[in-house]
Amino acid sequence: MGSSLNKPELLKNGKRLDGRDFNELRPLKIEAGILKNAAGSAYLEWGNNKVLAAVYGPKDAMPRHMADPTKAIIKCRYSMAPFSSIEGHGRSGPNRRAIEISKVTKEVFENVVMLEEFPGNEIDVFIEILQSDGGTRAAGITAASVALANAGIKMKDLVYAVSAGRIGEHVVLDVNMIEDNYSDADMPMTISPRNNNVLLLQMDGGFSKQQFKEAAKMVIDAGKKISSIQRAALENVYNDKKEDE
Amino acid sequence: MRHFVIPGDKILDRQMRIENAYVEAGTTHSAVLGFYDDERNSIIPLEGAWKPRIGDLVIGIVSSVGRNGGTYSIDLTEFISGLVVAGKFSTLDFKEGDIIEATIQDIEHKNLALLEHPKALKKATMIKIKPVKIARVIGRAETMIKQISEYTGCSMVVGKNGLIWLDGGNVALATDAILKIEREAHLSGLTERIKNMLEKESKR
Repeated sequence: MGSSLNKPELLKNGKRLDGRDFNELRPLKIEAGILKNAAGSAYLEWGNNKVLAAVYGPKDAMPRHMADPTKAIIKCRYSMAPFSSIEGHGRSGPNRRAIEISKVTKEVFENVVMLEEFPGNEIDVFIEILQSDGGTRAAGITAASVALANAGIKMKDLVYAVSAGRIGEHVVLDVNMIEDNYSDADMPMTISPRNNNVLLLQMDGGFSKQQFKEAAKMVIDAGKKISSIQRAALENVYNDKKEDE
Repeated sequence: MRHFVIPGDKILDRQMRIENAYVEAGTTHSAVLGFYDDERNSIIPLEGAWKPRIGDLVIGIVSSVGRNGGTYSIDLTEFISGLVVAGKFSTLDFKEGDIIEATIQDIEHKNLALLEHPKALKKATMIKIKPVKIARVIGRAETMIKQISEYTGCSMVVGKNGLIWLDGGNVALATDAILKIEREAHLSGLTERIKNMLEKESKR
Protein backbone atom coordinates (compact mmCIF):
# COMPACT_ATOMS: atom_id res chain seq x y z
CA MET A 1 0.00 0.00 0.00
CA GLY A 2 0.96 3.59 -0.38
CA SER A 3 3.20 5.43 1.98
CA SER A 4 4.75 8.84 1.75
CA LEU A 5 8.24 7.35 2.02
CA ASN A 6 8.38 5.38 -1.21
CA LYS A 7 5.98 7.57 -3.17
CA PRO A 8 6.62 7.35 -6.89
CA GLU A 9 6.40 10.30 -9.25
CA LEU A 10 2.76 10.32 -10.41
CA LEU A 11 3.02 13.16 -12.93
CA LYS A 12 5.48 13.51 -15.76
CA ASN A 13 5.57 16.54 -18.09
CA GLY A 14 2.09 17.56 -17.00
CA LYS A 15 0.63 14.15 -17.89
CA ARG A 16 -0.22 11.15 -15.74
CA LEU A 17 1.82 7.95 -15.71
CA ASP A 18 -0.31 6.27 -18.38
CA GLY A 19 -0.20 9.39 -20.56
CA ARG A 20 -3.69 10.62 -19.74
CA ASP A 21 -4.75 14.19 -19.15
CA PHE A 22 -6.12 15.14 -15.74
CA ASN A 23 -9.73 14.88 -16.88
CA GLU A 24 -9.39 11.91 -19.19
CA LEU A 25 -11.15 8.58 -18.64
CA ARG A 26 -9.51 5.24 -19.30
CA PRO A 27 -10.95 3.45 -22.35
CA LEU A 28 -14.34 2.02 -21.45
CA LYS A 29 -16.11 -0.85 -23.17
CA ILE A 30 -19.40 -2.44 -22.08
CA GLU A 31 -21.25 -5.42 -23.48
CA ALA A 32 -24.74 -6.30 -22.24
CA GLY A 33 -26.66 -9.55 -22.17
CA ILE A 34 -23.77 -11.99 -22.34
CA LEU A 35 -24.84 -14.56 -19.72
CA LYS A 36 -27.71 -16.73 -20.84
CA ASN A 37 -28.79 -18.07 -17.45
CA ALA A 38 -29.01 -14.66 -15.81
CA ALA A 39 -32.01 -12.38 -16.21
CA GLY A 40 -29.59 -9.63 -17.13
CA SER A 41 -25.84 -9.31 -17.41
CA ALA A 42 -23.03 -7.04 -18.48
CA TYR A 43 -19.31 -7.34 -19.08
CA LEU A 44 -17.21 -4.24 -18.67
CA GLU A 45 -13.62 -3.37 -19.47
CA TRP A 46 -12.42 -0.09 -18.05
CA GLY A 47 -8.72 0.35 -18.60
CA ASN A 48 -7.29 -2.81 -17.08
CA ASN A 49 -10.40 -3.49 -14.99
CA LYS A 50 -12.48 -6.42 -16.16
CA VAL A 51 -15.83 -6.83 -14.47
CA LEU A 52 -18.72 -9.22 -14.92
CA ALA A 53 -22.13 -8.28 -13.48
CA ALA A 54 -25.18 -10.52 -13.38
CA VAL A 55 -28.72 -9.94 -12.15
CA TYR A 56 -31.15 -12.65 -11.10
CA GLY A 57 -34.77 -12.23 -10.12
CA PRO A 58 -37.15 -10.91 -9.12
CA LYS A 59 -37.84 -14.13 -7.21
CA ASP A 60 -39.16 -15.15 -3.79
CA ALA A 61 -37.04 -13.57 -1.08
CA MET A 62 -34.98 -16.11 0.81
CA PRO A 63 -34.71 -16.59 3.75
CA ARG A 64 -38.40 -15.82 4.28
CA HIS A 65 -37.89 -13.63 7.35
CA MET A 66 -35.89 -11.18 5.20
CA ALA A 67 -38.83 -10.65 2.84
CA ASP A 68 -40.59 -7.32 3.00
CA PRO A 69 -44.30 -7.57 2.12
CA THR A 70 -44.35 -3.99 0.86
CA LYS A 71 -41.33 -4.01 -1.46
CA ALA A 72 -38.57 -6.07 -2.98
CA ILE A 73 -35.18 -6.43 -1.33
CA ILE A 74 -31.88 -6.20 -3.14
CA LYS A 75 -29.00 -8.52 -2.39
CA CYS A 76 -25.64 -7.55 -3.69
CA ARG A 77 -22.43 -9.50 -3.74
CA TYR A 78 -19.21 -7.85 -4.84
CA SER A 79 -16.30 -10.19 -5.02
CA MET A 80 -12.82 -10.14 -6.39
CA ALA A 81 -11.55 -13.21 -8.14
CA PRO A 82 -8.40 -14.68 -6.54
CA PHE A 83 -6.56 -14.00 -9.79
CA SER A 84 -7.88 -10.46 -10.11
CA SER A 85 -5.03 -8.46 -8.69
CA ILE A 86 -1.32 -8.31 -8.16
CA GLU A 87 -2.01 -8.07 -4.45
CA GLY A 88 -3.65 -10.65 -2.26
CA HIS A 89 -7.29 -9.80 -2.86
CA GLY A 90 -10.08 -12.32 -2.81
CA ARG A 91 -8.06 -15.35 -1.80
CA SER A 92 -10.00 -16.12 1.34
CA GLY A 93 -13.63 -15.34 0.67
CA PRO A 94 -15.35 -12.03 1.33
CA ASN A 95 -13.24 -9.73 3.47
CA ARG A 96 -14.18 -6.50 5.21
CA ARG A 97 -13.59 -4.54 2.04
CA ALA A 98 -15.80 -6.75 -0.14
CA ILE A 99 -18.60 -6.70 2.44
CA GLU A 100 -18.45 -2.91 2.62
CA ILE A 101 -18.55 -2.50 -1.16
CA SER A 102 -21.46 -4.95 -1.40
CA LYS A 103 -23.34 -2.87 1.14
CA VAL A 104 -22.76 0.51 -0.50
CA THR A 105 -23.61 -0.93 -3.94
CA LYS A 106 -26.85 -2.33 -2.56
CA GLU A 107 -27.74 1.06 -1.14
CA VAL A 108 -27.07 2.74 -4.50
CA PHE A 109 -29.52 0.45 -6.26
CA GLU A 110 -32.14 0.67 -3.50
CA ASN A 111 -32.43 4.32 -4.50
CA VAL A 112 -33.10 3.76 -8.19
CA VAL A 113 -34.84 0.39 -8.52
CA MET A 114 -38.64 0.59 -8.18
CA LEU A 115 -38.79 -1.87 -5.31
CA GLU A 116 -42.50 -1.49 -4.63
CA GLU A 117 -43.23 -3.24 -7.95
CA PHE A 118 -42.18 -6.61 -6.55
CA PRO A 119 -43.30 -6.98 -2.92
CA GLY A 120 -41.95 -10.00 -1.09
CA ASN A 121 -39.31 -10.63 -3.73
CA GLU A 122 -35.60 -10.25 -3.99
CA ILE A 123 -33.32 -9.07 -6.77
CA ASP A 124 -29.81 -10.49 -6.75
CA VAL A 125 -26.92 -8.46 -8.10
CA PHE A 126 -23.57 -10.18 -8.50
CA ILE A 127 -20.42 -8.26 -9.32
CA GLU A 128 -17.32 -10.28 -10.04
CA ILE A 129 -14.01 -8.48 -10.53
CA LEU A 130 -11.95 -10.59 -12.91
CA GLN A 131 -9.03 -8.20 -13.14
CA SER A 132 -8.54 -5.14 -11.02
CA ASP A 133 -6.65 -1.94 -11.58
CA GLY A 134 -8.16 0.62 -9.23
CA GLY A 135 -11.69 2.00 -9.22
CA THR A 136 -13.34 -1.40 -9.23
CA ARG A 137 -16.29 -0.33 -7.10
CA ALA A 138 -17.10 2.35 -9.67
CA ALA A 139 -16.65 -0.16 -12.49
CA GLY A 140 -18.83 -2.67 -10.64
CA ILE A 141 -21.68 -0.20 -10.13
CA THR A 142 -21.52 0.96 -13.76
CA ALA A 143 -21.67 -2.65 -14.97
CA ALA A 144 -24.40 -3.70 -12.53
CA SER A 145 -26.52 -0.77 -13.64
CA VAL A 146 -26.40 -2.00 -17.25
CA ALA A 147 -27.13 -5.56 -16.10
CA LEU A 148 -30.23 -4.39 -14.19
CA ALA A 149 -31.56 -2.54 -17.23
CA ASN A 150 -30.79 -5.60 -19.36
CA ALA A 151 -32.90 -7.69 -16.95
CA GLY A 152 -35.85 -5.36 -17.59
CA ILE A 153 -36.10 -4.37 -13.95
CA LYS A 154 -37.96 -1.11 -13.49
CA MET A 155 -35.58 1.63 -12.47
CA LYS A 156 -35.78 5.38 -12.16
CA ASP A 157 -32.41 5.87 -13.75
CA LEU A 158 -29.32 4.22 -15.19
CA VAL A 159 -26.63 5.22 -12.74
CA TYR A 160 -22.92 5.47 -13.39
CA ALA A 161 -19.95 5.67 -11.08
CA VAL A 162 -16.46 7.04 -11.49
CA SER A 163 -13.76 8.14 -9.11
CA ALA A 164 -11.90 11.39 -8.84
CA GLY A 165 -8.60 11.89 -7.07
CA ARG A 166 -5.97 14.42 -6.20
CA ILE A 167 -2.29 14.34 -7.06
CA GLY A 168 -0.60 17.24 -5.32
CA GLU A 169 -2.48 20.35 -6.44
CA HIS A 170 -4.13 18.65 -9.40
CA VAL A 171 -7.57 17.10 -9.39
CA VAL A 172 -7.63 14.00 -11.61
CA LEU A 173 -10.37 11.78 -12.94
CA ASP A 174 -10.69 8.00 -12.91
CA VAL A 175 -7.67 7.02 -10.81
CA ASN A 176 -5.97 3.72 -11.54
CA MET A 177 -4.32 1.34 -9.08
CA ILE A 178 -1.02 3.13 -8.67
CA GLU A 179 -2.64 6.55 -8.40
CA ASP A 180 -5.18 5.11 -5.97
CA ASN A 181 -2.41 3.77 -3.73
CA TYR A 182 -0.11 6.78 -3.76
CA SER A 183 -2.28 9.81 -4.53
CA ASP A 184 -3.33 12.35 -1.92
CA ALA A 185 -7.07 11.75 -2.27
CA ASP A 186 -9.44 9.31 -3.92
CA MET A 187 -13.18 9.81 -4.16
CA PRO A 188 -15.54 7.37 -5.91
CA MET A 189 -18.91 8.91 -6.77
CA THR A 190 -22.12 7.43 -8.09
CA ILE A 191 -24.43 9.81 -9.92
CA SER A 192 -28.00 9.48 -11.10
CA PRO A 193 -27.69 11.34 -14.42
CA ARG A 194 -31.30 12.53 -14.80
CA ASN A 195 -30.92 15.03 -11.99
CA ASN A 196 -27.26 14.60 -10.98
CA ASN A 197 -28.19 13.26 -7.55
CA VAL A 198 -25.25 11.76 -5.69
CA LEU A 199 -25.99 8.19 -4.59
CA LEU A 200 -22.54 7.25 -3.33
CA LEU A 201 -19.66 9.35 -2.19
CA GLN A 202 -16.69 7.96 -0.33
CA MET A 203 -13.38 9.65 0.21
CA ASP A 204 -9.85 8.72 1.18
CA GLY A 205 -7.55 11.66 1.83
CA GLY A 206 -8.84 15.17 1.46
CA PHE A 207 -9.85 17.95 -0.91
CA SER A 208 -10.14 21.65 -0.34
CA LYS A 209 -13.60 23.08 -1.00
CA GLN A 210 -12.45 24.43 -4.36
CA GLN A 211 -10.85 21.11 -5.35
CA PHE A 212 -13.93 19.19 -4.29
CA LYS A 213 -16.11 21.34 -6.56
CA GLU A 214 -13.69 20.82 -9.41
CA ALA A 215 -13.70 17.03 -8.83
CA ALA A 216 -17.50 16.87 -8.76
CA LYS A 217 -17.69 18.85 -11.99
CA MET A 218 -15.14 16.55 -13.63
CA VAL A 219 -17.16 13.49 -12.60
CA ILE A 220 -20.41 14.91 -13.97
CA ASP A 221 -18.76 15.94 -17.26
CA ALA A 222 -17.22 12.48 -17.70
CA GLY A 223 -20.57 10.94 -16.79
CA LYS A 224 -22.08 12.06 -20.09
CA LYS A 225 -19.56 9.88 -21.90
CA ILE A 226 -20.07 6.93 -19.55
CA SER A 227 -23.87 7.19 -19.88
CA SER A 228 -23.67 7.19 -23.66
CA ILE A 229 -21.46 4.06 -23.60
CA GLN A 230 -23.97 2.36 -21.28
CA ARG A 231 -26.82 3.27 -23.60
CA ALA A 232 -24.94 2.01 -26.66
CA ALA A 233 -24.22 -1.29 -24.89
CA LEU A 234 -27.91 -1.83 -24.21
CA GLU A 235 -28.91 -0.84 -27.72
CA ASN A 236 -26.31 -3.13 -29.31
CA VAL A 237 -27.95 -6.24 -27.87
CA TYR A 238 -30.86 -5.63 -30.22
CA ASN A 239 -28.90 -4.33 -33.19
CA ASP A 240 -26.84 -7.52 -33.44
CA LYS A 241 -29.95 -9.57 -33.95
CA LYS A 242 -31.07 -7.34 -36.77
CA GLU A 243 -27.95 -8.14 -38.77
CA ASP A 244 -28.21 -11.93 -38.76
CA GLU A 245 -31.67 -11.88 -40.26
CA MET B 1 -42.04 7.15 -34.48
CA ARG B 2 -40.40 4.68 -32.18
CA HIS B 3 -37.51 5.76 -29.98
CA PHE B 4 -35.15 3.53 -28.09
CA VAL B 5 -35.35 4.42 -24.39
CA ILE B 6 -33.41 3.37 -21.31
CA PRO B 7 -34.45 3.82 -17.67
CA GLY B 8 -34.49 7.50 -16.73
CA ASP B 9 -34.97 8.89 -20.25
CA LYS B 10 -37.38 11.80 -20.36
CA ILE B 11 -40.21 10.97 -22.75
CA LEU B 12 -42.66 13.81 -22.14
CA ASP B 13 -42.40 17.32 -20.77
CA ARG B 14 -45.73 16.95 -19.01
CA GLN B 15 -47.28 14.50 -16.62
CA MET B 16 -48.95 11.46 -18.06
CA ARG B 17 -49.74 8.07 -16.65
CA ILE B 18 -48.07 5.57 -18.96
CA GLU B 19 -47.34 1.95 -18.22
CA ASN B 20 -43.61 1.36 -17.55
CA ALA B 21 -43.04 5.06 -16.97
CA TYR B 22 -43.02 7.29 -13.93
CA VAL B 23 -43.72 10.94 -13.25
CA GLU B 24 -41.25 13.17 -11.51
CA ALA B 25 -41.33 16.94 -11.07
CA GLY B 26 -43.93 17.42 -13.78
CA THR B 27 -42.19 15.34 -16.44
CA THR B 28 -42.58 11.73 -17.50
CA HIS B 29 -39.63 9.36 -17.63
CA SER B 30 -39.21 5.80 -18.86
CA ALA B 31 -38.62 3.16 -16.19
CA VAL B 32 -37.55 0.35 -18.49
CA LEU B 33 -35.45 -0.55 -21.47
CA GLY B 34 -37.70 -0.47 -24.50
CA PHE B 35 -39.21 1.52 -27.31
CA TYR B 36 -41.33 4.61 -26.82
CA ASP B 37 -44.05 5.03 -29.41
CA ASP B 38 -44.83 8.76 -29.54
CA GLU B 39 -48.04 8.35 -31.53
CA ARG B 40 -49.70 5.93 -29.14
CA ASN B 41 -47.86 7.29 -26.08
CA SER B 42 -46.87 3.87 -24.89
CA ILE B 43 -43.66 2.13 -23.91
CA ILE B 44 -42.99 -1.32 -25.30
CA PRO B 45 -40.57 -3.06 -22.93
CA LEU B 46 -37.82 -5.22 -24.37
CA GLU B 47 -37.18 -7.25 -21.23
CA GLY B 48 -38.87 -7.79 -17.95
CA ALA B 49 -40.95 -9.98 -15.72
CA TRP B 50 -44.66 -10.54 -16.19
CA LYS B 51 -47.03 -8.60 -14.00
CA PRO B 52 -50.39 -10.34 -13.62
CA ARG B 53 -53.53 -8.48 -14.59
CA ILE B 54 -57.18 -9.29 -14.14
CA GLY B 55 -58.50 -11.05 -17.23
CA ASP B 56 -55.16 -12.47 -18.39
CA LEU B 57 -55.29 -15.98 -19.82
CA VAL B 58 -52.53 -18.02 -18.20
CA ILE B 59 -51.14 -21.53 -18.38
CA GLY B 60 -49.87 -23.18 -15.23
CA ILE B 61 -48.88 -26.45 -13.67
CA VAL B 62 -50.68 -27.75 -10.58
CA SER B 63 -48.09 -27.72 -7.83
CA SER B 64 -50.18 -28.88 -4.89
CA VAL B 65 -53.69 -29.94 -4.03
CA GLY B 66 -55.40 -28.73 -0.87
CA ARG B 67 -55.95 -31.24 1.91
CA ASN B 68 -59.67 -31.67 1.26
CA GLY B 69 -59.42 -31.23 -2.49
CA GLY B 70 -61.13 -28.30 -4.10
CA THR B 71 -58.21 -25.86 -3.77
CA TYR B 72 -55.24 -26.09 -6.06
CA SER B 73 -52.00 -24.10 -6.14
CA ILE B 74 -50.72 -23.45 -9.61
CA ASP B 75 -47.19 -22.49 -10.65
CA LEU B 76 -47.41 -19.61 -13.11
CA THR B 77 -43.86 -18.27 -13.02
CA GLU B 78 -40.95 -18.62 -10.62
CA PHE B 79 -42.38 -16.00 -8.35
CA ILE B 80 -46.09 -15.79 -9.07
CA SER B 81 -48.46 -18.57 -8.14
CA GLY B 82 -52.12 -19.04 -8.84
CA LEU B 83 -54.95 -20.44 -6.76
CA VAL B 84 -57.98 -22.30 -8.05
CA VAL B 85 -60.84 -22.66 -5.59
CA ALA B 86 -63.53 -25.03 -6.79
CA GLY B 87 -67.13 -23.94 -6.31
CA LYS B 88 -69.73 -25.94 -4.39
CA PHE B 89 -70.99 -27.90 -7.37
CA SER B 90 -67.73 -28.05 -9.24
CA THR B 91 -66.48 -31.29 -10.68
CA LEU B 92 -62.84 -30.24 -10.94
CA ASP B 93 -60.38 -33.00 -10.29
CA PHE B 94 -56.75 -32.01 -10.90
CA LYS B 95 -53.67 -33.90 -9.82
CA GLU B 96 -50.22 -32.59 -9.10
CA GLY B 97 -48.39 -31.97 -12.38
CA ASP B 98 -51.51 -31.36 -14.47
CA ILE B 99 -51.38 -28.54 -16.99
CA ILE B 100 -54.26 -26.11 -16.85
CA GLU B 101 -55.36 -22.92 -18.57
CA ALA B 102 -57.34 -20.34 -16.64
CA THR B 103 -58.19 -16.65 -16.46
CA ILE B 104 -57.08 -14.34 -13.68
CA GLN B 105 -60.02 -13.25 -11.56
CA ASP B 106 -58.24 -11.28 -8.88
CA ILE B 107 -54.74 -10.55 -7.62
CA GLU B 108 -53.67 -10.68 -3.99
CA HIS B 109 -50.37 -9.21 -2.76
CA LYS B 110 -49.17 -8.89 -6.37
CA ASN B 111 -47.78 -12.44 -6.42
CA LEU B 112 -50.86 -14.58 -5.85
CA ALA B 113 -53.48 -14.73 -8.59
CA LEU B 114 -56.97 -16.11 -8.04
CA LEU B 115 -57.97 -18.04 -11.14
CA GLU B 116 -61.34 -18.72 -12.69
CA HIS B 117 -62.62 -20.90 -15.55
CA PRO B 118 -59.87 -23.52 -15.15
CA LYS B 119 -59.63 -26.11 -17.89
CA ALA B 120 -57.33 -29.12 -17.97
CA LEU B 121 -55.00 -29.38 -20.96
CA LYS B 122 -53.62 -32.74 -21.97
CA LYS B 123 -49.91 -33.40 -21.64
CA ALA B 124 -48.28 -32.04 -24.78
CA THR B 125 -45.44 -29.73 -25.80
CA MET B 126 -44.93 -26.66 -23.64
CA ILE B 127 -42.48 -23.90 -24.38
CA LYS B 128 -41.49 -20.97 -22.28
CA ILE B 129 -40.52 -17.61 -23.76
CA LYS B 130 -39.94 -14.13 -22.36
CA PRO B 131 -43.31 -12.83 -21.13
CA VAL B 132 -42.75 -9.41 -22.74
CA LYS B 133 -42.76 -11.08 -26.17
CA ILE B 134 -46.11 -12.82 -25.68
CA ALA B 135 -48.04 -9.88 -27.13
CA ARG B 136 -46.23 -10.38 -30.46
CA VAL B 137 -46.89 -14.16 -30.44
CA ILE B 138 -50.59 -13.37 -30.10
CA GLY B 139 -50.50 -10.53 -32.61
CA ARG B 140 -53.10 -7.86 -33.20
CA ALA B 141 -56.53 -9.54 -32.99
CA GLU B 142 -54.75 -12.91 -32.65
CA THR B 143 -53.50 -12.78 -36.25
CA MET B 144 -50.15 -14.35 -35.41
CA ILE B 145 -51.65 -17.33 -33.54
CA LYS B 146 -54.08 -17.93 -36.40
CA GLN B 147 -51.28 -17.74 -38.94
CA ILE B 148 -49.08 -20.25 -37.11
CA SER B 149 -51.99 -22.65 -36.54
CA GLU B 150 -52.97 -22.39 -40.19
CA TYR B 151 -49.56 -23.34 -41.56
CA THR B 152 -48.61 -25.95 -38.97
CA GLY B 153 -51.94 -27.43 -37.97
CA CYS B 154 -51.08 -26.99 -34.30
CA SER B 155 -53.59 -26.13 -31.66
CA MET B 156 -52.06 -23.44 -29.49
CA VAL B 157 -52.84 -21.89 -26.16
CA VAL B 158 -50.75 -18.84 -25.32
CA GLY B 159 -50.54 -17.84 -21.68
CA LYS B 160 -49.70 -14.26 -20.78
CA ASN B 161 -47.24 -15.61 -18.19
CA GLY B 162 -44.87 -16.81 -20.93
CA LEU B 163 -45.94 -20.43 -21.32
CA ILE B 164 -47.24 -21.73 -24.63
CA TRP B 165 -48.99 -25.06 -25.05
CA LEU B 166 -48.78 -26.78 -28.45
CA ASP B 167 -50.46 -29.95 -29.61
CA GLY B 168 -50.89 -31.80 -32.90
CA GLY B 169 -49.60 -30.87 -36.35
CA ASN B 170 -46.06 -29.75 -37.04
CA VAL B 171 -44.98 -28.83 -33.50
CA ALA B 172 -41.32 -28.43 -34.46
CA LEU B 173 -42.09 -25.77 -37.06
CA ALA B 174 -44.48 -23.95 -34.74
CA THR B 175 -41.77 -23.92 -32.05
CA ASP B 176 -39.24 -22.52 -34.52
CA ALA B 177 -41.67 -19.79 -35.51
CA ILE B 178 -42.37 -18.85 -31.89
CA LEU B 179 -38.67 -18.72 -31.04
CA LYS B 180 -38.08 -16.54 -34.10
CA ILE B 181 -40.82 -14.19 -32.88
CA GLU B 182 -39.15 -14.06 -29.46
CA ARG B 183 -35.81 -13.14 -31.04
CA GLU B 184 -37.15 -10.55 -33.46
CA ALA B 185 -40.18 -9.16 -31.64
CA HIS B 186 -38.75 -5.62 -31.61
CA LEU B 187 -38.33 -5.39 -35.39
CA SER B 188 -41.07 -4.24 -37.73
CA GLY B 189 -42.62 -6.34 -40.47
CA LEU B 190 -42.66 -9.39 -38.21
CA THR B 191 -45.94 -10.91 -39.41
CA GLU B 192 -44.69 -10.85 -42.99
CA ARG B 193 -41.35 -12.48 -42.13
CA ILE B 194 -42.99 -15.21 -40.07
CA LYS B 195 -45.39 -15.85 -42.92
CA ASN B 196 -42.51 -16.23 -45.40
CA MET B 197 -40.68 -18.56 -43.05
CA LEU B 198 -43.74 -20.73 -42.45
CA GLU B 199 -44.50 -20.87 -46.16
CA LYS B 200 -40.95 -21.89 -47.03
CA GLU B 201 -40.56 -24.46 -44.27
CA SER B 202 -43.99 -26.06 -44.55
CA LYS B 203 -43.39 -26.93 -48.20
CA ARG B 204 -40.34 -29.03 -47.40
